[in-house]
Amino acid sequence: MSDRPTAPELVEATREFLEQEILPTLADRRLRFRTLVAVNALGIAQRELESRADDQLSPDELAELARRIRAGDVPEGALKLLKRHVAAKLRIASPRYLERYE
Amino acid sequence: MVDAPDWAPELRQRLTELLGGPVELTSMRLLAGGASKEAWAVEAGGERLLVRRAAGGVIHADTLPLEHELQVLEAAHDAGVRVPRPVGYLGELGGREAFAMELVEGETIGRRIVTRPELGPARAELPRQLAEELAKVHAIPRDRVPFLGERDVLERFESELDSVGEPHPAIELGLRWLDDHRPEPLEPVVSHGDFRLGNVVVSERGLEYLLDWEFAHVGDPREDLAWPLVRAWRFGVDGLHLGGIGEPELYLERYAKLTGCDVAEEDLFWWEVLGNVKWAVGALTQSRRHLSGRERSVELAVLGRLAAEMEYELLDLLERA
Repeated sequence: MSDRPTAPELVEATREFLEQEILPTLADRRLRFRTLVAVNALGIAQRELESRADDQLSPDELAELARRIRAGDVPEGALKLLKRHVAAKLRIASPRYLERYE
Repeated sequence: MVDAPDWAPELRQRLTELLGGPVELTSMRLLAGGASKEAWAVEAGGERLLVRRAAGGVIHADTLPLEHELQVLEAAHDAGVRVPRPVGYLGELGGREAFAMELVEGETIGRRIVTRPELGPARAELPRQLAEELAKVHAIPRDRVPFLGERDVLERFESELDSVGEPHPAIELGLRWLDDHRPEPLEPVVSHGDFRLGNVVVSERGLEYLLDWEFAHVGDPREDLAWPLVRAWRFGVDGLHLGGIGEPELYLERYAKLTGCDVAEEDLFWWEVLGNVKWAVGALTQSRRHLSGRERSVELAVLGRLAAEMEYELLDLLERA
C-alpha cells in the first residue's frame, strides 16, 4: 500500500495543474488544443483508477465474442450485451457522450 | 527566422524552382489540427502558402501519397471544385513528402461551424453548397486520376481491425450486419473520401473550400453522401442529421438535380453504419501510431479510447435497423 496521494489523486493533481496553471498561459492554438487533449486523457485515467467492477466484459469474453461474430455465429442477445459493455467503457472514456442518447 | 525546421533550406530551394525566381522564407508556422499530415503556414516571396507534409505513419493503409493527393487537388481545381489553388509538388523535405498550395482563411473547426451565431447564415447555405461541391467532385473524369483505386468498401476493415491487436466485438457485429445487407452498387465515381465538416473552410457566406483529399478513391457515390451524416461529424448538434447544420432532404434533392443520381435518406442508412465502422477502426488504428512509437502524440493516443463513441453509435443504429 503506497502513501497518499493515491494514484488517482496524483493524476487529478496533474490534471488540475495543466488546466489551471498551464492552459491560461498558452497562446498557440496547437499547444492549447493538445493541452486540452492531455487534460482529457488524465480525466480518463483518473476515472478508470477510481472505477469499481462494472458491466465491462473480460478480455477473454471479448475475444470469444469477437471470434464467434466474425465466424457468423452471433450469440443471442449479443447486441444488448455489447451495448452495456460499451456504455461502461464510455462512463470512463467519455461520460458526457452517453447523455446525448437520453 | 526563429523556430524554422531544419528542412527550411530545402523548402526555400524547391519554392525557388517552383515559383521561378529566388524566394526568401519570411515566416513558417505549424498549424493546429491535421492528425495525419503536418500543415505549415509559410510566407515566401510575397505569397502565403500552405505546405502540407507527411507525418509519421498513415491512418488507413490506403491514404494517397502526397504526390497523388496533389494531382487529385489539381483535377478538382480544373473541374471547378472550390479548393485552394495548388502550387506544386515539393518532393521530400527532411525525408518526408510535401506539396504547396494557396493558404486560405476561414473556419474549419466543426464545433464552431455548428454553433457560432455569426455562422447562422452560412449554416442555412451549407446543405445546398455541400451538394453542389460533391456533384462536381463526383463528375471528375476517372482518367484524370487513373491511379485512384477502386476497392470493396468492406474488405479492408477486417484486416485493419486485426492489425489493432485487441478484440472489438461491437465493430465485428457492425461488419457482419453490413456484409449481410449489402445494397445494390451504383456506378462508381471519383470520391473525396472524407467529405464532412472539419474538412471544409466556411465563412459567413458558407462553403469556401473543400480540403483534405488524402482519402480520395473511386467508389459508390453514397459513401461520400452519407459521411457527413455520421454522428461524430454533427459535432454535438445531434438533432440535425446532416453535419449538425441541417436535414439531408435539401442536400439530397440538390445532389439529385445536378447528377441525376436520386438517393433517398433511408438509402443512406447502410452507409451511415459503414461510416461508424470506418471511423471506429480509424480511431483505433490512429492510436496505434502512438502506441507503436511511430508517432508519439497524446492526441493520437486518446483516440483509442474515443473509438467507444463510434461503437456505441454503431450499436444504437443496429438496434434500430
